[in-house]
Amino acid sequence: MSATGSARGEPVAAFKPDLLQSSEHELCPGCGHPVAWRLVLEAIADLELSHRTVLVAGHGCYTQMMKLSDLDSLQCLHGRAPAVATGVKRMLPETAVVTLQGDGDMVSEGLHEVLHAGARGERVTALLFNNGVFGDTGGHLTATTVLGQRTKTSLEGRDPEVHGYPIDVARLLAQLDGTAYVARGAVNTAGLVARTGRMIRRALEFQMAGAGFTFVEVLTMCPTGWFVPTADGPDYLEESMMSTFGIGELKVPETSSDV
Amino acid sequence: MTRRLLQGSEAVADAAIVSGCRFFSGYPMLPFTELLEHMAKKLPSAGGVCINAESEIEAINMALGAAATGARAATGSCGQGLALMQEAIAEAALNELPLVVFNMARGQQDYFQATRGGGWGDYRTITLAPRDVEEAVAHTQLLFHLADLHRTPVLLYGDYVVAHTSVGIEVNRLELGPLPEKDWALDGTMSGTGRARQIWTWARGKPNTPGPGPDRAWKSIAEKYEEIARREARFEADAPEGTEVLVVSFGTTAPFVDRVVQELRTEGMRLGSFRPVTLWPFPGDALAEATKGCRLVLVYELNAGQMVDDVRIHAADRSAVRFIGGVSQDNSGMRQGDLLAVDALRDRVRQAIAELAPSGGSS
Amino acid sequence: MEREVLFTGVGGQGVQIAARTLATAALDEGREVMLVPRYGGGMRGGMTNAELTVGDGPLRALPVASDCWSAYAMDHAYFPTIAPHLRPGAVVVVNSSLFDVPVDVEGAAVFEVPASGLADEVGNPMTAGFVLLGAYVALTGLVSVDGLVAAMRQLVPPYRTQHLAANEQAIGVGAAAVTPLAAPAWPLNAVTTAGTP
Repeated sequence: MSATGSARGEPVAAFKPDLLQSSEHELCPGCGHPVAWRLVLEAIADLELSHRTVLVAGHGCYTQMMKLSDLDSLQCLHGRAPAVATGVKRMLPETAVVTLQGDGDMVSEGLHEVLHAGARGERVTALLFNNGVFGDTGGHLTATTVLGQRTKTSLEGRDPEVHGYPIDVARLLAQLDGTAYVARGAVNTAGLVARTGRMIRRALEFQMAGAGFTFVEVLTMCPTGWFVPTADGPDYLEESMMSTFGIGELKVPETSSDV
Repeated sequence: MTRRLLQGSEAVADAAIVSGCRFFSGYPMLPFTELLEHMAKKLPSAGGVCINAESEIEAINMALGAAATGARAATGSCGQGLALMQEAIAEAALNELPLVVFNMARGQQDYFQATRGGGWGDYRTITLAPRDVEEAVAHTQLLFHLADLHRTPVLLYGDYVVAHTSVGIEVNRLELGPLPEKDWALDGTMSGTGRARQIWTWARGKPNTPGPGPDRAWKSIAEKYEEIARREARFEADAPEGTEVLVVSFGTTAPFVDRVVQELRTEGMRLGSFRPVTLWPFPGDALAEATKGCRLVLVYELNAGQMVDDVRIHAADRSAVRFIGGVSQDNSGMRQGDLLAVDALRDRVRQAIAELAPSGGSS
Repeated sequence: MEREVLFTGVGGQGVQIAARTLATAALDEGREVMLVPRYGGGMRGGMTNAELTVGDGPLRALPVASDCWSAYAMDHAYFPTIAPHLRPGAVVVVNSSLFDVPVDVEGAAVFEVPASGLADEVGNPMTAGFVLLGAYVALTGLVSVDGLVAAMRQLVPPYRTQHLAANEQAIGVGAAAVTPLAAPAWPLNAVTTAGTP
């Protein structure tokens, strides 16, 4: 049962974004991805980019978001989305190009690609749905799994002596001259949902203004991968992930104001 | 008609540009590097984009992305770099994306890498192996055409000799026939219409436009490759009636075979030559025909024996097949070594003939 | 008829430029050419060779030549790599300022030109390669000296035009240092006469 107590099958919201062909997804109860993705679709529509957007998606639970969305889409190889998006955007410079990856896809497999795309200042918007675990493969360690987190490949909890430390890719990207806008939000509270929605919108605006590489990381819930009860997901996210990954805009182009 | 002295890499770059290539990405690796340099110099002024990627994996994935928008896109590498690209080549095949890959190979004739591939799934690449710079220029244009026609990645099997030999040449655009519209290309304009497009190896489609799913999609792609195999095999043969010894080779090795065959014919030997122009689809039927009645089918390739497998599969008489090639590198490891020489080849052919039990034919 | 030239030297002596200039000159004079360079990865100091075949019809030549007609050697360091591919009686033109060992080719017609010394004398040491090339062309008539100069002008990149005059002078100095057509590449009635000194 979900935190609101609604029975399975009853929609929580009375409307769905236009850019969603169907809201019938198969993700776990309590998964943060649909909430985060909704924000993306709303931003695209609000900015009137509905007929000018191409999505490049990696491999993970969030691939379903690609499938359900009314966007010209390409699923690419694990980790490669920023490189693939580079090819797309260089051929379609007036089109909004968005990449969607999880932490395993971007920060484990694809660290090389995202850092280089950032350094090159590719005018795409890279989205990272970070739940600190490889959800789709059943709950394994990734490069953003926080210390102490139990996964199937860190059964006693992530131990720096054995598993090393998590990587804050947003902080790395913010240091590169080619990145224009770098932000991190979360979708575990209503307030953060709203704030994250604004971050995503700003990232897209900066892309279309040609400012450079834009990046929004969204901390999302994965109670299944975390081995916690569904209803505890939002609080667990705050306790476990937010101390490692702080919320806010890490970098904005010089002439803009903060969210 | 003005011919210019062009290095093979430059001629191939010019051929790609007159074919309409507008995206090229690569990572420096000799002897592919010069092709990247020429594209970096010429593609921007032709209205295209050339990116020196930060790895071969990136390079091919960028090209894949560009190809997904409908643009004519290409990349290239060789050896270890091409090994890194295998996953994406397979991905392009299962995405049914046209993509041209220039393999400017090093000294070893890596036939397996160019035909068997190290990717995943039931895929193939149409692979052309030119014998010299002129043919490489024609093949480049043909590859862009075939990639679009069949919606598949394709490979040019070039090498150090093709890349670095300079000849007087003029690169003219070839007319290769009509092509279907790229209605599958992603450009963002179908977003928000309820019928957005999707390129996904799993082919599940979207709710409004369900797809066939991986089973049916991959079956139909496999059938497509069978159809390509029936239509696109190419070869060159000089095997008149009565040929007793057929020498088989591919790529830039073939002119050496032709020279030795001509020489030994003047001594009365009944020699012929055969060269697959498409390494895949391998022209098996033509080889079977050319080997009928041959007492020896000598395979001359600079490796430990790769194409010889395909020759054995198709030769009219398997027991007539002999491998007379070998691994041969020069000191730099970049190009073929001493075995790529007329004298070495002539000796091996003579020796193979001498070892044959006499049977009343010409020796 | 086809004539081969094997070039050899040490990285930095302008061997590839020389080979390319001669190839371009031959192409522009209406002949068929094939040029195959051989060098390793480093930019200076290593082996730098090239094989050039020039013919008056479609070439029979292969990218690995044997039995070659002539050689152009700026240095003896890598000459052993080309010597086995020269025919007996080959025409061998050497930069005697640096090449000071016997030429190990049976019956070779050796022409010694102190190219580096001559280049130093006119104050342009970097043009030694063109001095030797001017000498080679004057000796053999493989192309005309004027044609060689024209090819050189074509190939010098726009950011190096300050070298055109020095290069042209070097070609002239080399041509003047030898007896014209002492080793003709083509039957004498077929040699182009335009501009040959």
